[in-house]
Amino acid sequence: MTVEILSEEDKLKKYFHPESVAVIGASANPAKIGYRVLGNILFGQIPSGENAEQEIQERVEKKQFAYPGKVYPVNIKGGEILGLKVYKSLLDIPGRVDMAVICVPPKFVKEVITQCGKKGCYAATVITAGFGESGNVNMEKEMIYEARKWGVRIIGPNCFGVFNTYLPLNATFARDIPLKGPISFISQSGAVGASAIIYGLSESIGFRYFVSIGNKADVTDADLIRIYGKDPKTKAIALYVESFPDGRDFYEAAKEVSWHVPIVALKAGRTSAGQKAASSHTGAIASSDVAVEAAFRQAGIFRAYTFYGLLDAARALGYQNPPLGENVAILTNAGGAGVITADYMNDLGMKLAELTPETIKRISQVCPPTWSHNNPVDVVGDADVERFINTLEAMVEAPEIDAIIILVVPTGTLEMNKLPERIVEIANKTHKPMTASFVGVISDVSEDYLEQHGIPTYSFPERAAFGMYALVERGKYLRKIGVM
Amino acid sequence: MSEENPIVNEILSKAKPGKQTFLGYEESRNVLKAIGIPFNKTKLANSEEEAVSISEEIGFPVVFKVVSPDISHKTEIGGVKVGIRTPEEAKAAYNSIMDSVKRHVPNARVEGIMVEEQISGSELFVGVTTDPQFGPMIAFGIGGIFVELYKDVTFRLIPIGVSDAYEMLQEIRGKRIYEGYRGRPRADPRELVKVLLAVSKFICDYPEVREMDINPLMVTHKGVMAIDARIIVDKSLEAKSPC
Repeated sequence: MTVEILSEEDKLKKYFHPESVAVIGASANPAKIGYRVLGNILFGQIPSGENAEQEIQERVEKKQFAYPGKVYPVNIKGGEILGLKVYKSLLDIPGRVDMAVICVPPKFVKEVITQCGKKGCYAATVITAGFGESGNVNMEKEMIYEARKWGVRIIGPNCFGVFNTYLPLNATFARDIPLKGPISFISQSGAVGASAIIYGLSESIGFRYFVSIGNKADVTDADLIRIYGKDPKTKAIALYVESFPDGRDFYEAAKEVSWHVPIVALKAGRTSAGQKAASSHTGAIASSDVAVEAAFRQAGIFRAYTFYGLLDAARALGYQNPPLGENVAILTNAGGAGVITADYMNDLGMKLAELTPETIKRISQVCPPTWSHNNPVDVVGDADVERFINTLEAMVEAPEIDAIIILVVPTGTLEMNKLPERIVEIANKTHKPMTASFVGVISDVSEDYLEQHGIPTYSFPERAAFGMYALVERGKYLRKIGVM
Repeated sequence: MSEENPIVNEILSKAKPGKQTFLGYEESRNVLKAIGIPFNKTKLANSEEEAVSISEEIGFPVVFKVVSPDISHKTEIGGVKVGIRTPEEAKAAYNSIMDSVKRHVPNARVEGIMVEEQISGSELFVGVTTDPQFGPMIAFGIGGIFVELYKDVTFRLIPIGVSDAYEMLQEIRGKRIYEGYRGRPRADPRELVKVLLAVSKFICDYPEVREMDINPLMVTHKGVMAIDARIIVDKSLEAKSPC
């Protein structure tokens, strides 16, 4: 057997662009992870519901598969699963295997890694749990030792899998299939990753690459950040992190990438009392989170402090460009929503643009005298689409405004079926970023239209402000390092 | 060591491998002066006459401190006098310290009296600590004895650049204290930046320095200067330069 020699970078790319995938521990039992993973690879998402069995059978017969590459189920028992021949060992597979998804019991994983090495399959995803996280530190070490010996890379163990929505390859045991989009995700928690996908479905957030990174026994956030940074389809990187195997390397990787691809991170466990006994003042003040804070700031990572903040910021950074300045204006037909948002922006330390007399004059030409004459620009409750759009146009052309938050409360006078298209028309002609909220609306057609056309649209006005905050901070960082 | 600095090399070479070494005030001061941190003027006096002449040379007001390897808590045994304004007061202070030391620690080896320029101004703070995950960090903030109480301090990973240093100055809640609040001395931000960059470079050159406090770093009408400092060296871990 001839074995390819790959650079470390190429090995990691195989996780996302494999031409062939083997599922070791594949199962015919729908209750097993070995079945879910195989099915998700084949179908993208395993059909469910009443006619599921029939649909599966039809798709198998017609070879209507999602993943375009070769799929090899491996199980010591052999036989056939979902119409595919099951190999008894990885080494029995006739062709090359680019990526191995491993879901056998923990005690067999090391042996499978050896086979990966012999087979020249350098990208192994170990879904199997029961290693370091349950105290079996030595078993994890032995597995890594074996992997290093053969040059095999490992994502996991104890993870949820990987996907690339564009190939498509869904090598996870997720229930849902994520939407395509610009955000590449790394999650230390499989559950956080899985729920991000589900939130994404209801809020039209699309993903590119996804890795549930598990115990980070080999492949680290830093490795993946470097890979994501080279992908032209990745417009923002989102991280859910609980710990750093090598903080410095993470910092260096983030710094290398963040000047061209924005990174947003949620670091959980920031309040845990991890303060070591220190013999200097500096040491005594420096809680464990101080270093994280410093590293994020210097590396240009936007820090989210909540789960929804992570997704809200990632969405804004993934879809919009940062503003050239810090002055944000609010356009709304609802005074209350404008005030709530202005207060929240003030709490975040954001700047509200001050309208010039010229802009006030211009807006006065398209609005009744009752408009706010100030920022937030309140075009008042009886506004129709024309008034709303004319005002937006004036704001886009106002030099004192760098970015715009659009807050729309659906009213009887505002034709919600026409507004989104008109907003998108204007957004396409300006470099000024926009975020929006259809206040009171969780998710509907008009909201989805904006979202699908690159304007992040949130269910609450404060969240639209937070998305804009991420964009403003991004602009500040880029100007600081001199690349904007 | 990326840069040979003979004074620093010599002092740090005394640190024993395998354990933490605390450098005292004198050594810390000499190291930091050698890397370009300004300190207040000090000079050792060995007699009453010298104490007076050195005080005049440095300029009143001055502070006297007993120097002895056998005395660690100087203030408690009357080994420190502050606010000395005239030659007469200097004589009296010298004798008072010597009497007091003799009474409290009869067998102490006394090397002399340190005459120090008495500085008034606002107290800042610059420090270094090493995070187990992210490595060496530099700290800047409001100094003095309440550092740990206020925690008005900001951190960066070392190395830092000029823009990082300027950003740090802006992040302190009490920054008006060194921006000339109510007639207080106004710090030249470039002087503070220089101190921060010098400390950052020092750690790059000497990563075995694990922790350090410059506290207080005084902002005076005459400029920024350090008054007290301590350095902790640890050669037990392989110290890799972060730069």
